[in-house]
Amino acid sequence: MEKRAFMFNMVLSELEDIVGQENVSTRECDKLTYGVDYFWISRMWADRGQTPPAADFIVRPDCAEQVSAILKIANYYKIPVHTWGGGSGSQGGALPMAGGILLDTKRMSRLIEIDEVSRTITAETGMVFQQLEWYANEKGYSCMHIPSCLTCGTIGGALGHRGIGILSTKYGKIDDMCVSMEVVLPNGDIINTLPVPKHAAGPDLNQMFIGSEGTLGVITKATFKLFEMPECRKHRAFLFPDMSSGFEAGAALMQKVKPSILRFFDQAETVSIIKKILGFEKKGCFMNVTCEGMERIVDLEMEIVQEICTKFGAQDLGSEYGEKWYENRITFFYPGHIMDIPQMFGTMDTVCTYKNVEKIYWAMKHAIEDNFPGVRFIAHCSHWYEWGTMIYDRFILDNPPEDPDEAIRLHNRIWNAGVRAAMENGGVINDHHGIGLKLSRLMKEQYGPAMQVLEGLKKSLDPNGIMNPYKLGL
Amino acid sequence: MFTQTALKHADACRFCWMCRHLCPVGLKTGREVNTPRAKGLLVSLDQRGHAMDADTAQAMYECTLCGSCTNDCATGFEPPIFIREARTQAIVEGIAPAPVEKVIENIQTTGNMFGMNAEDRIPLDAMPETAEVLLYLGQTAAYRRQDMARAAISLMRKAGVSFTVMQNEPDTGCALGDLMGYVEDVRAQAQSCADAIHATGAKLVVLLDSYDAAFIKHNFAAWGIALNAETTTATAYFANLVREGRLHPEQLSMTATYHDATPLARDLDEHQPARDLIAAMGISLKEMFLNRRMAKCCGSEVFLQYAPELAHMTAEGRWDDVRRTGMTTLIAADPQALDVLSQAIPEDMRLCDLFTLLDSACR
Repeated sequence: MEKRAFMFNMVLSELEDIVGQENVSTRECDKLTYGVDYFWISRMWADRGQTPPAADFIVRPDCAEQVSAILKIANYYKIPVHTWGGGSGSQGGALPMAGGILLDTKRMSRLIEIDEVSRTITAETGMVFQQLEWYANEKGYSCMHIPSCLTCGTIGGALGHRGIGILSTKYGKIDDMCVSMEVVLPNGDIINTLPVPKHAAGPDLNQMFIGSEGTLGVITKATFKLFEMPECRKHRAFLFPDMSSGFEAGAALMQKVKPSILRFFDQAETVSIIKKILGFEKKGCFMNVTCEGMERIVDLEMEIVQEICTKFGAQDLGSEYGEKWYENRITFFYPGHIMDIPQMFGTMDTVCTYKNVEKIYWAMKHAIEDNFPGVRFIAHCSHWYEWGTMIYDRFILDNPPEDPDEAIRLHNRIWNAGVRAAMENGGVINDHHGIGLKLSRLMKEQYGPAMQVLEGLKKSLDPNGIMNPYKLGL
Repeated sequence: MFTQTALKHADACRFCWMCRHLCPVGLKTGREVNTPRAKGLLVSLDQRGHAMDADTAQAMYECTLCGSCTNDCATGFEPPIFIREARTQAIVEGIAPAPVEKVIENIQTTGNMFGMNAEDRIPLDAMPETAEVLLYLGQTAAYRRQDMARAAISLMRKAGVSFTVMQNEPDTGCALGDLMGYVEDVRAQAQSCADAIHATGAKLVVLLDSYDAAFIKHNFAAWGIALNAETTTATAYFANLVREGRLHPEQLSMTATYHDATPLARDLDEHQPARDLIAAMGISLKEMFLNRRMAKCCGSEVFLQYAPELAHMTAEGRWDDVRRTGMTTLIAADPQALDVLSQAIPEDMRLCDLFTLLDSACR
């Protein structure tokens, strides 16, 4: 008898006992499927015929109680647990790097309640976010969380990596939208955060688990705000002569109006992606703005938007290109339009105050283009706040090294250079894609001594370190 | 061996998650392998040293080929192309699931996917050997939803149509194409069906089964198989008879929602005739959120035959949509959809066949 095989079968039996035999898989095709997410490295491995990281057990619980029982077993045997929602994350956050259990949440996809009095919606977190949005739409509401991955990721995924949607400038990030949550802690306890997100009962538990990327527990239910559908949604586009004037205009806009969409593209992106998708031919820096809500307020907001943009030297392109951008907002992400293997690419989104934004843009651009010949750098700013904005920087290399190991090292060097340039100039390691495996190594550089707060939380909640090892720098 | 076209589509889909929210199977099972991207990835990996095994083959059959993914794709990629070819490879390599092999054997030995005998087929009164109009029933209506077949025949008579129904109606090859891909055996079956239709002298073929209608429209043409006859769906045909005043439905006092069968929803892009018939009977219709081209698939007959549990789940998924409309009656206009949906009718709900309703409304 081989001891390891015996224990493997013992654990398998225990897991099957919880969720049923049909909901535990050790099949090769499942392991392959759960070993590739949207992270460039996992895709590169798959493209080059390498064996992706594999879990030993793929387990599909149906409810929080089953998650609890699974985590108790994992803790007893000290088996790693990687939580998987949609698997569409770009940071490698769901990859089962340490083997063990891959916990797929998608059987937990029930709608729990639509509370039309409080304007909230509650569901299990394995639900694909588009489904939640459709349930809201059926009743005349929207969650207003419309990321490009709306149809790809789950509720848990959006919460786990602190996601954001295209309407964030008016409605906020996922952490602004979430009212409360049910979380299964690593020891198996099922807890609820407070029923409302605004209170004076100490720190907000929601914000401890949102963005925790499966390292502190498993979020199993969540309640979100509902918004009435806007009476109207109006779009407009502008062309700025340079980045400086666009940044200034954006900052000024945020003091006067509350657009739902405000996107500002550098010239490199204007003459490539915007040209390709929208057919816009001019050089300069493209901006599209959307205001929505009651029509008479929106009309007034749009007037102010036009005044401010014109004041900062923009050419008013009218509503056509703004409408085209909105119609094609998802088209950008389909095969044939989005970057894909064999290219090497990455989105180094950072967020900063207005004071630093232009400095960071140029620092990142130089860090990438000056140090890595052949690598292109393009950027836009798509989520704006009263105090600052984010920069959605992307790098693209058309012909990366053939050797996978060499490719990974180059990939990591480019990332280090870009993200460090952002951090050294007042930017934050990431805006809305999360940390995952990709940026884990840079978390201590970002936080400095403050990292001990996160490490203390991790040690207290997950003393055996079983939850999503190697992610988030924890 | 996959075609270059299939590999191109698989390589495009393998890292794209955009349509996963529409897969009627994946939504119910929650398994990652039940997504178009996973199937694309597995086909792609098959070419890169991870050869398809029996489990992968099984996964390729956990799909209704409904085309929701294709309909969603902004850049025109089609997962059914490589899924179908993966099925061909599974058959060739002898790793297809046993229930699939059994259904193929049924078709090859009895001419129908159920393995039923000729005497189990719908009994027909004496029909002329030739006629201007041929009512083509399809396997499901002929064997399992004879109520729908009888209603269609009755409606033809009430409208005074001179028509025939083939006593030994050959299969179009549609089901076989789903099981083994578009291989020579399937083309040969399609040819013999076309020959039989030609022998009736029909100038117009009315297709009760929309899966057959879509298969004939797309595949017969692609294979250069000439029917020498026009084709129409039963929904479009009867809607036209009502419009021409040849059928006079009475007003039925009822409210309902309607399920667009997959081929009508997407392959044929035919949405209005069934709704016209519903309106002609005075039925108050409340649409499901996902309707017309966006309609969620409930499963097909062949899917029900080789994967009854999964088909039950996909049918449940559609009944969930019905429940959220507040309606308790669902109308279906396709025999396959009717049969699959009937496997999972909730206790407090009712499933109606559009043609039986119309027949009862036309005195």
